Amino acid sequence: MGRYILKRVGYMLVTFYVVITLTFLSMKMLPGTPFKFANRLTPEQLNQLKHYYGLDQPIPVQYLHYLWNMLHGDLGGSFQYGMQPVTEFLLQRFPISMELGIESMIFGTVLGIVLGIISGIYRGKFLDWGTVTLTVLFISIPSFIFAAILQYFFSVKIQLFPVIGWDSPMTHVLPVISIGVGVMASIARFMRTEMVEVLNQDYIVTAQAKGLSTVAVIYKHAIRNAMIPIVTVIGPMTAAVVTGSLVIENIFAIPGIGSQFIDAIVTNDYPMIMGTTELYAALFIVTILIVDILYGVIDPRIRVSGGKSS
Amino acid sequence: MSHLLEINNLSVKFHIFGGTVQAVRGISLNLNKGETLAIVGESGSGKSVTSKAIMGLIPSPPGEIATGDILFEGNDLVKYSKKQLQKIRGKEISMIFQDPMTALNPTMKIGKQIMEGLIKHQGMTKHDAKKRAIELLQLVGIPNPEKRVDEYPHQFSGGMRQRVVIAIALACNPKILIADEPTTALDVTIQAQILDLMRDLQKKTGTAIILITHDLGVVANLAQRVAVMYGGKIVETGTLDEIFYNPKHPYTWGLLSSMPKLHAKTDKLLAIPGTPPDLSNPPKGCPFAPRCPYAMKVCTDHMPEYTEMSSTQRTACWLLDERAPKVEPPATIGVGGSNND
Repeated sequence: MGRYILKRVGYMLVTFYVVITLTFLSMKMLPGTPFKFANRLTPEQLNQLKHYYGLDQPIPVQYLHYLWNMLHGDLGGSFQYGMQPVTEFLLQRFPISMELGIESMIFGTVLGIVLGIISGIYRGKFLDWGTVTLTVLFISIPSFIFAAILQYFFSVKIQLFPVIGWDSPMTHVLPVISIGVGVMASIARFMRTEMVEVLNQDYIVTAQAKGLSTVAVIYKHAIRNAMIPIVTVIGPMTAAVVTGSLVIENIFAIPGIGSQFIDAIVTNDYPMIMGTTELYAALFIVTILIVDILYGVIDPRIRVSGGKSS
Repeated sequence: MSHLLEINNLSVKFHIFGGTVQAVRGISLNLNKGETLAIVGESGSGKSVTSKAIMGLIPSPPGEIATGDILFEGNDLVKYSKKQLQKIRGKEISMIFQDPMTALNPTMKIGKQIMEGLIKHQGMTKHDAKKRAIELLQLVGIPNPEKRVDEYPHQFSGGMRQRVVIAIALACNPKILIADEPTTALDVTIQAQILDLMRDLQKKTGTAIILITHDLGVVANLAQRVAVMYGGKIVETGTLDEIFYNPKHPYTWGLLSSMPKLHAKTDKLLAIPGTPPDLSNPPKGCPFAPRCPYAMKVCTDHMPEYTEMSSTQRTACWLLDERAPKVEPPATIGVGGSNND
């Protein structure tokens, strides 16, 4: 297991390096400069500015320079915020996005799994039809539309929750639901399919033939086996939700990393673009590693072929 | 004398899209303490459905036990509630399945899968149940049971898994063990081992066995009595000797002829021409009539009654009517070859 993880970490570093390089190159191909009134500046002034920010050097030199600094934990300073270190921004804003993402995932996953199980057990019955219809609806409606509807009814009409913000627990409710229902719907559909498949397996008949009650058969034999494939979906989904809540962060004015990312791209704030992309990439890669390890914990067949040295 | 299990006029129907399949059409059977009854027949003859009906495992819907009763020690299992059936299943009547590769839960330790029934039916503590699980693994011939009890199914070979399945079935000393094609999915060498094991265990525990199979070699090995099923009906029953040496039904002749023989002069396999009847639209007369080389006009119109050939052998065939022409069984049914012995 230890060797396996070590190997995986090696691959992760390679992936991460490729992401950095590609982002750096594509970022340099973006039109425009980081300077707001570039067209009003004299060439002299522009060159001075470029020199100040190190942009007058050839791109390969800039690239190596960036890598060298990164290895020393320096992601550079934001062009838009007076060279304030990028890491400071990330550390301050990332936890908020992380909080929103994780709360949404927990909300969506728990509800999704429960709905999927119920739907799978009552396949073809009323409860199943209801769940399936609901999930199709929630998958089809984009989260920002849902957010707007929630804001209108729960904030404006009955004024139960604040319209925007991110401080008290009450402010968390609407954004978390907005993101969470999509997650819930996807997971419910997936779980339903797995449940239906598992319930048709021979070992379920074996369990019934032992005289176990229906609840015991489902709880002890069906659910665990149905959960195995779900774990693989939850990982990338978590990464996608944590990194992909830009729109919701904007709608609810949540000071997360999403809005920072968009601002950075719009203003050509190079170090900030690099920093946020790196953070997203790292998060994604690490989540997938965690999922693969978790997979082995749930499914004993994987554990052994992974080379467990017990 | 009252039987351990008595099935009277049992019919099982499946209501599916586009019609009703009559999988089992009015069969009667009985089983005595400690004996082995084989139910033979080809795919779709209703033998597995019969076994599921006894276990109360016919999925409903679409399945339904339309008529008949299944008397276990005098109590009708058909009338039992789900809760009552759960008390019988695994404790009084248990089952082993065809495919050991899929019959075990892949994410649960072997020991735990054996312990479940013990904890449920005999109220054992986890500690006692585990001790008993180790004993059971020993009983079914799994080496090093103390260690293997904590392993998962994928760490066992097919034959070893079937032994585990048998251990699960025998955990609570059931009175009846239903073995649904217990050796079909196994290698031939392993088949013999499993059959030996079942015979040994039956001697030790006195469990009655209902053996569902299409393999007459397995039947010869294990059974004392045989019921031949075709098209959802029992066409002939008798003792092992009667069915093998004095069969009366043309379908039984066909089955015996199609058994490969070791010393056969030709290398051609004998098959029964034709296909089994469509049970969503079952024939009015004898289900075997369309494939029967001796079929008469009456066969397609009327189902024959049983003719008592002896106190133990009953056959449903018009050839046995006194007005029918005398027909001799084909020479190919000779049981000269050995299969699995």
